[in-house]
Amino acid sequence: MKYVKLPKENLDAFVENLKTHGKVYGPVKIGEYYSFQEINNSKEMSLEYSRTMIPPKKFFLKLKERLFTFNEEKGEYKETLEEEKIVVFGIHPCDINALKLMDKIYIDETPDKYYKMRRENAVIVGYGCHPDEYCFCHSLGTNYAADGFDLFLHELKDGFFVRVGSDKGNAIVSEISELIKDVEGSDIEEFRAAERKREKEYTLELNIRGITDMLALAYESEVWKEYADKCFGCGSCNLVCPTCRCYDVVDNVNLNLKSGERLRRLDSCMLRKHGLVAGGLNFRPTRIERLRNRFNCKGSLREDTLNCVGCGRCTVYCPSQIDYVEVLKKVRGEL
Amino acid sequence: MILNLEDELLDLLSNLDVKSFIMASSAHEETDLDVAFVEGSVSTEEGLERLKDIRKRSKILIAIGDCAVWGCVQAMRNQEMSMKERMRKVYDKEENFYDVLEPKGLSAYVDVDLEIPGCPIDKIEFLNAVLSLLHGDLPEVKDYPVCVECKLNEYQCLLVEKGMPCLGPIIVAGCNALCPGLGVDCIGCRGPIRDETNAAEELNVLKEKGYDEKYIKNRLKFFGANFGEIAKLSKMLEKKQPGKGGK
Repeated sequence: MKYVKLPKENLDAFVENLKTHGKVYGPVKIGEYYSFQEINNSKEMSLEYSRTMIPPKKFFLKLKERLFTFNEEKGEYKETLEEEKIVVFGIHPCDINALKLMDKIYIDETPDKYYKMRRENAVIVGYGCHPDEYCFCHSLGTNYAADGFDLFLHELKDGFFVRVGSDKGNAIVSEISELIKDVEGSDIEEFRAAERKREKEYTLELNIRGITDMLALAYESEVWKEYADKCFGCGSCNLVCPTCRCYDVVDNVNLNLKSGERLRRLDSCMLRKHGLVAGGLNFRPTRIERLRNRFNCKGSLREDTLNCVGCGRCTVYCPSQIDYVEVLKKVRGEL
Repeated sequence: MILNLEDELLDLLSNLDVKSFIMASSAHEETDLDVAFVEGSVSTEEGLERLKDIRKRSKILIAIGDCAVWGCVQAMRNQEMSMKERMRKVYDKEENFYDVLEPKGLSAYVDVDLEIPGCPIDKIEFLNAVLSLLHGDLPEVKDYPVCVECKLNEYQCLLVEKGMPCLGPIIVAGCNALCPGLGVDCIGCRGPIRDETNAAEELNVLKEKGYDEKYIKNRLKFFGANFGEIAKLSKMLEKKQPGKGGK
């Protein structure tokens, strides 16, 4: 890994350079919440943000989109998505680790060409953060992004400690050589001290050891009924989750009844139709089954990682305040 | 709303053989139908007989609009007093002159094949349903809450972040979260999600946010009085002391 320093006064010039690599998106405060939006300069961003409601997965697996138009008469279809170069600035470590997990699914295991194309067309600039009372990423080991980014900025008093994580990142750094400096011993010490301090800031813990077994053993637990009574089945938890990746498609036909379009949107396993299959069978007809399935999916292992990065969004945005960590503590019998 | 499909109406009608559409044409034929679109709630014995007749004559019966789906605002005071008491309050006589029934949606009386909710309906949702049928597909039935559309549009959560009495979590989507997108909390004009909505939790959540039971009850009943769980909650709350109004 290569390390450089970006002085604070050069942040705007750095963002200007990033614009040559694509539309730049960063965390912007809108009312009471944060969202990744297109920005023109660094001042439009709120880099001290806690979390965006919708994670940066939205750039790669779009919340909703048209995949293609079709014409049955001619037997053809035409993809309608456009290639676009983007830079996503200010992604937190949990969300970078979540994208790595998404990559495993949509690039390695069951490739999704749209997802892959967008990932290849994006520059990822990570940004260091401080936990709030909903963050439990340190319990999952996702509070640090070891890779999965092109550049990663850690704030120092007078600048940013920049980790260069890819060839793409290295190319950008070489373009802005006049904006950056070599790191000095004092910068390294400041970075290390800040990381040590950050480790101590976490207040929420989730014991994930053996969680897959604990969930399997709690299959008949009363916990699911208790929380299913509170649950709206509204899908908010899935839609704000940086690792949830189910989608649904629908075809709309035009007035000529021959042509039409195929639309895709993010789906949620908490919605009734998620488990509905042809013939009318629904293999998860009740909220109890859906809730249990969601927790089992999040708590299932994918190689060595769980399908959760501890970002806290599902707890924050649950309209009935179902606390993800609390549920898993009950599953384990800690509460 | 159907007649407001100005750009599509002529093409649409060229695909259909309309036997009766009183709001659009004086031609009217009482015959067997492939598809009947019925709007309005059942609120009189006469209306009920007419509905049963249409059901008999139709292969597919589709309820359009909240009146036909849930009974809409005219059902708001259902469960609260008997028809006799209502007649006495309005006409000072207990006799039911017009054979009035407690307003209900069509499915309370006959089998309904598809429901297109909304007060009013979304004309594009209607159009897509008709086109699906013409194409030989099953129309898309949205049976998930407005929350989904808020998230897909990245609208701020008015319930969680602003503490507004939004009914989004219990109301069927399909409006593309029009009101929350404008910063207006959902009042539920598309009605609850049949056999799914967790109305009891909406009551709990709004109470926790400081809204009073009577206010919440009225809000839930505005468009959803005939939804089983809301009717049950309403009866339960009726037995308690009436509250003081909104927040």
